[in-house]
Amino acid sequence: MQSSPGMLTKFESKSSRAKGIAFHPKRPWILVSLHSSTIQLWDYRMGTLIDRFEEHDGPVRGIDFHKTQPLFVSGGDDYKIKVWSYQTRRCLFTLNGHLDYIRTVFFHDELPWILSASDDQTIRIWNWQNRSLICTMTGHNHYAMCAQFHPKEDLVVSASLDQSVRVWDISGLRKKHSAPTSMSFDEQMGRGNQNQTDMFGNTDAVVKFVLEGHDRGVNWVAFHPTMPLIVSAGDDRLVKLWRMSETKAWEVDTCRGHFQNAEGCLFHPHQDLILSAGEDKTIRVWDLNKRTAVQSFKRESDRFWVIAAHPEINLFAAGHDNGVMVFKLERERPASAIHQNQLFYVTKEKTVKAYDFQKNVESPTLLSLKKLGSPWVTPRTLSYNPAERSVLVASPVDGGSYELLSLPKDGSGAIEPTESKRGSGTSAIFVARNRFAVLNSNTQVIDIKDLSNNITRSFKPPAGTTDIYFGGTGNLLIITPTAVHLYDIQQKKTTAELAVTGVKYVIWSNDGLYAAFLSKHNVTIVTKTLEQVSSLHETIRIKSATWDDAGVLLYSTLNHVKYTLLNGDNGIVRTLDQTVYLVRVKGRNVYCLDRSAKPRILQIDPTEYRFKLALVKRNYEEMLHIIQNSSLVGQSIISYLQKKGYPEVALQFVQDPTTRFDLAIECGNIDVAVEMAKELERPKFWSRLGAEALAHGNHQIVEMSYQKLKQFDKLSFLYLTTGDHSKLARMGKIAEHRGDFTSRFQNALYLGEVEDRIQMFKEIDLYPLAYMTAKSHGLEEECEAILEATGLTEDQITLPTLGKPLTPAQPVVPTFKSNWPTKAGSQSFFEKALLGQVEGLSLEDNTATNLLDDAMDVDESSKRNGLIEDDEEDATGWDMGDDDVPEVESDFVNVDSSEAGGAGSSEADLWARNSPLAADHIAGGSFETAMLLLNRQVGAVNFAPLKPRFLEVFQASRSFLPASTGLPPLVNYIRRTLDETDPRQVLPLIPRDLEHLASNDLQKGYDSMKANKLEDGIGYFKGILHAILINAVANEDEVSEAKKLITSASEYVVAMSIELARRQLGGPDALAKDPEKLRRSLELGAYFTIPKIEVPHRQLALLNAMQFAVKNKNYNSALSFANRIIANGGASKIVENAKKTKAQCERNPNDSIDIEFDQFAEFEICAASHTPIYSGTSFEECSFDGSKYHSKFRGTVCRVCEVCEIGKHGSGLKLFA
Amino acid sequence: MDPYSAEGELINIHNHFLQGQFQEVVDFDTSSFSADNALPVRVLQLRARIALGQAQEVLGEVKGAKEPELEAIGALAELSLGKTDSAVSTIEKLVVSASDNVTVEILGGTVLQAAGKTDDALALLSQHSGSLDAVALIIQIYLYQNRTDLALKEVSAARRWAQDSLLVNLAESWVGLRVGGEKYQQAFYVYEELAQAPSTSSIYSLVSQAVCELHLGRTEESQAALEEALKKDPSYAEAIANLLVLKAVTGQDTSELTATLAKAAPKHDFLTTLEEKSDLFDKAAAKYKAKVSA
Repeated sequence: MQSSPGMLTKFESKSSRAKGIAFHPKRPWILVSLHSSTIQLWDYRMGTLIDRFEEHDGPVRGIDFHKTQPLFVSGGDDYKIKVWSYQTRRCLFTLNGHLDYIRTVFFHDELPWILSASDDQTIRIWNWQNRSLICTMTGHNHYAMCAQFHPKEDLVVSASLDQSVRVWDISGLRKKHSAPTSMSFDEQMGRGNQNQTDMFGNTDAVVKFVLEGHDRGVNWVAFHPTMPLIVSAGDDRLVKLWRMSETKAWEVDTCRGHFQNAEGCLFHPHQDLILSAGEDKTIRVWDLNKRTAVQSFKRESDRFWVIAAHPEINLFAAGHDNGVMVFKLERERPASAIHQNQLFYVTKEKTVKAYDFQKNVESPTLLSLKKLGSPWVTPRTLSYNPAERSVLVASPVDGGSYELLSLPKDGSGAIEPTESKRGSGTSAIFVARNRFAVLNSNTQVIDIKDLSNNITRSFKPPAGTTDIYFGGTGNLLIITPTAVHLYDIQQKKTTAELAVTGVKYVIWSNDGLYAAFLSKHNVTIVTKTLEQVSSLHETIRIKSATWDDAGVLLYSTLNHVKYTLLNGDNGIVRTLDQTVYLVRVKGRNVYCLDRSAKPRILQIDPTEYRFKLALVKRNYEEMLHIIQNSSLVGQSIISYLQKKGYPEVALQFVQDPTTRFDLAIECGNIDVAVEMAKELERPKFWSRLGAEALAHGNHQIVEMSYQKLKQFDKLSFLYLTTGDHSKLARMGKIAEHRGDFTSRFQNALYLGEVEDRIQMFKEIDLYPLAYMTAKSHGLEEECEAILEATGLTEDQITLPTLGKPLTPAQPVVPTFKSNWPTKAGSQSFFEKALLGQVEGLSLEDNTATNLLDDAMDVDESSKRNGLIEDDEEDATGWDMGDDDVPEVESDFVNVDSSEAGGAGSSEADLWARNSPLAADHIAGGSFETAMLLLNRQVGAVNFAPLKPRFLEVFQASRSFLPASTGLPPLVNYIRRTLDETDPRQVLPLIPRDLEHLASNDLQKGYDSMKANKLEDGIGYFKGILHAILINAVANEDEVSEAKKLITSASEYVVAMSIELARRQLGGPDALAKDPEKLRRSLELGAYFTIPKIEVPHRQLALLNAMQFAVKNKNYNSALSFANRIIANGGASKIVENAKKTKAQCERNPNDSIDIEFDQFAEFEICAASHTPIYSGTSFEECSFDGSKYHSKFRGTVCRVCEVCEIGKHGSGLKLFA
Repeated sequence: MDPYSAEGELINIHNHFLQGQFQEVVDFDTSSFSADNALPVRVLQLRARIALGQAQEVLGEVKGAKEPELEAIGALAELSLGKTDSAVSTIEKLVVSASDNVTVEILGGTVLQAAGKTDDALALLSQHSGSLDAVALIIQIYLYQNRTDLALKEVSAARRWAQDSLLVNLAESWVGLRVGGEKYQQAFYVYEELAQAPSTSSIYSLVSQAVCELHLGRTEESQAALEEALKKDPSYAEAIANLLVLKAVTGQDTSELTATLAKAAPKHDFLTTLEEKSDLFDKAAAKYKAKVSA
């Protein structure tokens, strides 16, 4: 049972002869149909038999998985085709029809078809959905041994013992069966007729080619997945390769080598190889292009009957006399080496490439290794020497060979190695800057060689050495099947030895202190002196590993990335959908090479292992950081913490009261336990709490628990021990109340209350005891009374000897008042920090935080009192002395809670406090502060024009609710914050909000502009300015809207005032008399066109100016106005007019009167003097409406808003708090 | 015992009074009432007549009467005629002689509060023993004082022993309009129910409903209610005042209505405060002037 070197057996099963094999396309499953009539389903990765299906009678030869559905099909010597569900583990149905053994069955990749080949010489296609036979292909005149669908085209290839291979065209069948489902009657008739012809003419499947060349029967045939090639294997011991075109097919070549019947053959799914298996007990691999044998594997005693390839991954299976074997042709692990931020690796094309971790880029090909050994064998290891920038590549070819090559500086030059030194050896690694070690496992010699490939020393390693690895400076790790030796090269002796079996790979940690030994199923972590640190076992095969910078080993199995700490704690980091080889971990990235030797980056969440690592290292800051920054919850981490003895840490993660309680008890955190017990309120928890508290000496909690549990006796005893007499007395009362005499007696005893005891005895008619008690305490009167009550005399009683009366000890210390120092709770640093965090503290210096907190408090409280005003920020929180704080606080308390009468502040007063907006102050009637605000914000000085707005806002602030007759109505305050009830948040309604202004006042302004009622218009626009000045908006967006409205209104006011000024110069008559006035009039007309008013309105201004200019023969100016009108477009009448004027003016583009109006210059109009302010000259503006003035007007009232002082800068208008 | 409680036979007439249906109170058929209730009914009717503006006649009617209730009515009549001082002195006398009389308490409280003697009014009213009227007055006085917190306490206390009394509902609405938020809507429901049922509708409830709507920002509905109220009595000061507020809120011209209000109630709070604020404005504005006069 040994396979040839080179072939990697992954799985073997033992059974009777395997006749059919099928790989599951996704899962690690293989179906094996046996000569014994059984069908087995194996998990070849785990090596377990999943299921057996035994319904066939006699050998089962054909088997296939469906590509997507949970189905498989089998065909047996019972002539039956069975379709199975592996989910329900049942045979779904049987297709009957074949008249002899069935050799192969295959599903179609897309269509619901099954193809079967049978000894009845037919090949049939079945529809497994409607379970019908849809096509029978006849033509072979001997057993049909194999028939397969083409993976892409509508072709079928079949092999028969009639020595022929046939290719069938089934496109007719597909057409017929992929027709629309709804058919007319005619079509159905046609379809019926077609079927008729099927019976005789068979147009659905026609023979396309008949390939003849085999001298004996053909056992197997297969299409190439992509190329138009066919491979067949026959009893003539030959494997033949055929090629076909659209019109013909021919034999290409023959692969000779099998010395017995060739039973199966196939194309390698990814490489240019052919695999074949035969009764000569060999599997042979052939080069598809050269048709030469590449490899051959021989089994000792089992003839091969069938061979199959996995459709996706590089895996094959062959069935033989005693079972099946799953194998790989080659190692898929790409050889690689890491130096700093570079990964050097060998690609599938046998070239060396580098990959930069930081830049995440692959280099171009650095070196080609094509000439190293066979083209089909990739090197096993790569060792990199940074000093020389050379690589040492070891390959298993020819019993092992190595090659020492230098890498070029970059990949741009020649990739063929310039000079190479080679030699034979199974392993070759660098051990020093100028030395490398070569192991020859056959001769069991290790040579240390220099870079010229000369042996400098040579020694015999321990027996059975299979591999060598770098072992730290001057050392080698020598791997034998049962142990690892640390070998000192200088001393030529083993310095340490560790018994670890089957080590395959050694991975050193980044700091070189630890190494991980990977075996098939084990990871062993050792120190650099080969002391074992930890070891773990995996049921799934371990593929690779790499160290995290922090000393965590990440390793990959076939389907997971896992981690292990040095102490052996391990866990899963993520799952893998395909096998990868880890090379490095950096932060959340895991770098790896996949099976096609492409670098890949996997995202991982390192939180869990970092947390565990921090826990192990007791790095509490790190843990705290992790807890704060990631969502680390879940049962696993909790149980981990608990298991590892960190209940106090686990406590921080748990919400569930029961678990919290358990953890709290475990770590002795009584406070939390009490809290949870209260929440849970169940006797079980209280009794546990009581027991734990007692152990702590925390008798107050014990008392609480006993109370909750109603354990009166225990409680009494507790009071006795803590010397709490008053409570003991109360216990006595309770006992009396409960009618529990024993308890009452006990309490009385504890208290030393003789009378009570006697009284009790009397109550329960135990006079003798009462008497004795009285007697022993010398209470003679009581004795008399008892005697009297019982009608006895003293001499009638015989008393036993009475001892001394019991006097309970008096407590020396009032223990009950407080707990003794209790057992210290295991409050770790971590927990303290965490508690700190809960209280809003961080790990920063405590004093600083406290100060900060105080300051915050001041800030908070003063805010609540509404003391902060926007423009008094410098007076808040931070500056306030400590003395102020109590005052502020008490003031606050006073307002809210004093029961005594005294008026509160009205809501109007609150508004002023709640808001930094002038409008809100006005609504609250606080005009002085409002004016102060406006003065500071926009430099308002002349308030008279604002009076109507002030009163309007104020008027709109209060409603009058008639209440009790005879009394004035209740004044209520109208809010804009309708949903708000917190008096510190309410704000007044401000009439004429932005929307109202835009839709009403602005419109009126526009209308007056259009109607040429400029006096009214100015009034409206000024009104808008005033209304915005005293207003409030809802958000920042509205603030910018308001700003736009201000600018617009301001421009209109300027424009209108220019035109009004022009009109004031007098009518045409007056102008005619005074050329100066005429000139000024023309200028003003021109300036009227400057302010940025709406285009239609600007057109009016331009028209006005144009006509006026034309009238006064200023054609040049008129022309410029006309051009602007035309450019603006719009109302056709005006534009027409302008065009006419333009034509007229162009004839004589001169101005008869020289005016100060440069149509090409950039300028603004001074709102006071109505003269241009050219850009570059200094000017002043109104900080509210933005109107511009010559500097000389600084300090006067703005002509536009009539409120603000020109040039006075404020903090800016506030409309939104 | 409060004669106006739900079990008493005076409940309907009392409710009319509370709803501001004063004419109905005056016209109420009192023949069926028991003799014990004769005086409370008379007091109620006299109060209604004062509210209807017949203070002079009422004063004449109660002159010389010895009952403290009627003396208190006299004081109320004097108050409404503007003779505050004599009203207060009458009450102060009554407080000494009959402070445990519920009518004296209520009317006295009203007079004292109206005269600005809030503390005295509260002291007098606090002597009440289970009179909702007194509680309502206390609540109202607290609201005058802007002590919404105390008013709320009173309301919830009253709720506990006089659950669904109209007066408690009203008082809760008064407070609700101060608290705001959802309470606006609740107050609105109370007044709307009164104003929209013909049997309980009055100018008083209409105006109250309008005020709620105003606070809820439903200006159109509010205006409709106020105009309906003004149809009933064009000179009802609260209706005019609130309409004025409404016009201000909606950005309309208020000058005409201000004149109307000045005619109807020259001393209305709206006008006096406005006057006051106008002066305040002038005074405050005078502090500012431009650096350079133009």
